[in-house]
Amino acid sequence: MSKQYLQTHTISSAHPTDIFSLAVTAAHILSASGSSSLRVHSTASAANPDTEDPYPLTQTLEGAHKLGAHHICASRDGKRAASAGFEGSVKVWEVDESGAWRSIGAIVDNAKSGEVWAIALSEDGKYLAGTSYDGRINIWDVSTPGAEGGGKKIREFETKGSFGMSIDISPDGALTASGHASGSIYIFSNSTGRLVHSLPGLLKPVRAVTFSPGCRYIAAAGDSKVVALYDVRSGEQVANLSGHRSWVMSLDWSTTGEWLLSGAHDGKAKVWSIERRECVATQTESEKTLWAVKWLPKTAGMRNETFATAGANRSISFYREASGT
Amino acid sequence: MEDEFEDLLGSDEPSQYLSQDPLGATAGSVAFYESEDEFLDDGDDVPQLTLEPDVSTSLARDNDPGEQRKTKGARAKNGSRTKPRPSKASRVTNASKKSMSNVVTLPTSPLEKITAVFEQIAEEMVEREPEITITLNVRPRIAPQTIISDAARFEVKVRHICFPGKTAEEAWRFSKRASTSNRHVQRLIWAAVVLRILELMHEALRTGVTISKRDMYYRDPALFGSQTHVDRYVDDIAFTFNVPRSALNVTAVAKGLVVGALSICRRDGSVTNAAVDRDGILIPSLKDILSVDLQAVKWILVIEKEASFRSIAASSFWDKGVASEGVLITGKGYPDIATRAFLRYLCTPSPHNGFASPPCYALVDFDPDGLAIMSVYKHGSAALAHESAELRVPQLQWLGLRSEHMLLGGDSTHASQGLLTLTARDRSKARKMLGREVEGDDIDEVELVEARRPLQVMLMLNFKAELQLLDAVPGSMTQLLDQELHASVG
Repeated sequence: MSKQYLQTHTISSAHPTDIFSLAVTAAHILSASGSSSLRVHSTASAANPDTEDPYPLTQTLEGAHKLGAHHICASRDGKRAASAGFEGSVKVWEVDESGAWRSIGAIVDNAKSGEVWAIALSEDGKYLAGTSYDGRINIWDVSTPGAEGGGKKIREFETKGSFGMSIDISPDGALTASGHASGSIYIFSNSTGRLVHSLPGLLKPVRAVTFSPGCRYIAAAGDSKVVALYDVRSGEQVANLSGHRSWVMSLDWSTTGEWLLSGAHDGKAKVWSIERRECVATQTESEKTLWAVKWLPKTAGMRNETFATAGANRSISFYREASGT
Repeated sequence: MEDEFEDLLGSDEPSQYLSQDPLGATAGSVAFYESEDEFLDDGDDVPQLTLEPDVSTSLARDNDPGEQRKTKGARAKNGSRTKPRPSKASRVTNASKKSMSNVVTLPTSPLEKITAVFEQIAEEMVEREPEITITLNVRPRIAPQTIISDAARFEVKVRHICFPGKTAEEAWRFSKRASTSNRHVQRLIWAAVVLRILELMHEALRTGVTISKRDMYYRDPALFGSQTHVDRYVDDIAFTFNVPRSALNVTAVAKGLVVGALSICRRDGSVTNAAVDRDGILIPSLKDILSVDLQAVKWILVIEKEASFRSIAASSFWDKGVASEGVLITGKGYPDIATRAFLRYLCTPSPHNGFASPPCYALVDFDPDGLAIMSVYKHGSAALAHESAELRVPQLQWLGLRSEHMLLGGDSTHASQGLLTLTARDRSKARKMLGREVEGDDIDEVELVEARRPLQVMLMLNFKAELQLLDAVPGSMTQLLDQELHASVG
């Protein structure tokens, strides 16, 4: 049984160049691109089918990263966000009651600048995890803005030295997972600082890792084109989702944990059923690389699952599940 | 020895200063300055020059070039040409010679400039200055896209090379290059290197024969140490004198190759058809070219590497494209001035090329170096920023390799092997290049964002791709060229 998704809207030319990363909160979708500003679009009125502009631009964070930004993430509680730029710094952002985002600090790694690559925020926005070129995973405490310039490094995990390309913090805050260019996937315990698992199976660069909402599974994918599914507790691989014909650049779990979304280098986005371990929908907007794909959190009034894709075509496209399926 | 010194000053040079000599433009003085030897020996006989006998003899001793050359570094001079030291102006001894430095009209030609510099040394040695300084303007490393006319904005760094430094005896004692750990020795060596280069330039200018930087190096490899030292100082000297390097009669050996549907008419009357030999011809120096015939040329393709140049020339694309309607050029990596100047000559409409402006494209590796090479052709180099205005080709378009071409060969592991992971050096170079793009305020925002994109994509994918990857899959290079060139040209 396959699902149908319809493209409901596209913010075309959302950015003057490639959009490399997306982050979502209950009210906003934030996008990072090769240009120096970050954009914030509102998702609040999208549920209403009569709105003329379901995703209006509410804020442009000018000059956030002079040389462009490659990663952006948000805490699950929607209050904090962090962005990493090509110039080497990571900025931490906070949203106020009116819905405006502002920068509350920046992290500059003591080591050579330019090192922080992929980033993830914990659910409550207190901790920021980041990877680096030499495979190190750093965790900063960003709970007190302004203190120590933005965050104090509280943990540093050393791995075998392969470029860390992706990272995620489990929703319960217990674990941090990283995917590397060598194909390695590591899971660390945040409380003990020890390596819990080294996951087998993927031999090529791992461009995306993501924990399921219930922390039961972790999905990882990359240049092997296969999405691998692992049981977090045992570390065993439980499924291999194949179907993509090109490098997988991005992964995201739906809020319920039923569906997995993936975006690839050939511009195709796929929705996978976890239960049935198979692809249930494929969307192609263009042949241009999809750098980021994200489910929109299901809010009151939104009956159907919606997801967003963005990439080399410079626009953010929204797809909604067609009713009746 | 003495002959060498005479060679430096030349026999005709002093007369130029004579006319400006406010103090003693007399027949006696004229005869007096006929040659340096005379000056040294006849000091006593000329009434106008109040030269104390002991000073003149010590001058002869001090100025014995042979002895000084052996100790490698007695000669240092002030390269900045400004000069008169007010405190010494009243010194009676050497008054006439001193007035030479008060010359109102500054020397204009490079030959004169070098000579003035040597005159200054001799003078300073006569006056037994405790410390003599060479001041060299170091070329600014400025972002190629910045407007050169605003060069005044940039701080011109200046390198001072002092001799003899703090302890003269120590400096004189060391004569071997081996003990380079000693700072004084280093200074001596730099001073000697700069002086030797000036001497070689002077000789080249005087005789009218151009010398290449490589020839210069081989004239005294023990002194110069490495080719890069020669290269660096030659360019700094040219910058200090504010002339292009070619005005000093120093050139580089021809490196670039060209092949295709064009003919070159040279000054010696010969006409070369560049399509005759698939191996191509060495790009001649612009000085030797009278005109080029570009009537058949529909496009020009600049290729980063010689290997790719040859493989395209050898492929089926030759008959279809290169021989009949196109031109291939390669600078064999980072292009030299001759190659850049030649490309500009071909692409810029002028009476010499029949007012043609054929579209020109760059085919480089998809890696930081490839993009940097394209940037050198297009915007100029950071090292020779002051010469870039006449060498840049802003209309150069990027044909490839682009990220879309990376998987052209299909999905087989073979083609995938053409993709290499970025090294730490690649990543830091890509980041530096990204940063450099920002410095030009006057650049179009859209262009800037576009220019940054390939570097950003490279960093995101963590891959680079070399042109050779296309060779792995037969026909893919031809397919790419067909597709891209004929699509644009029509």
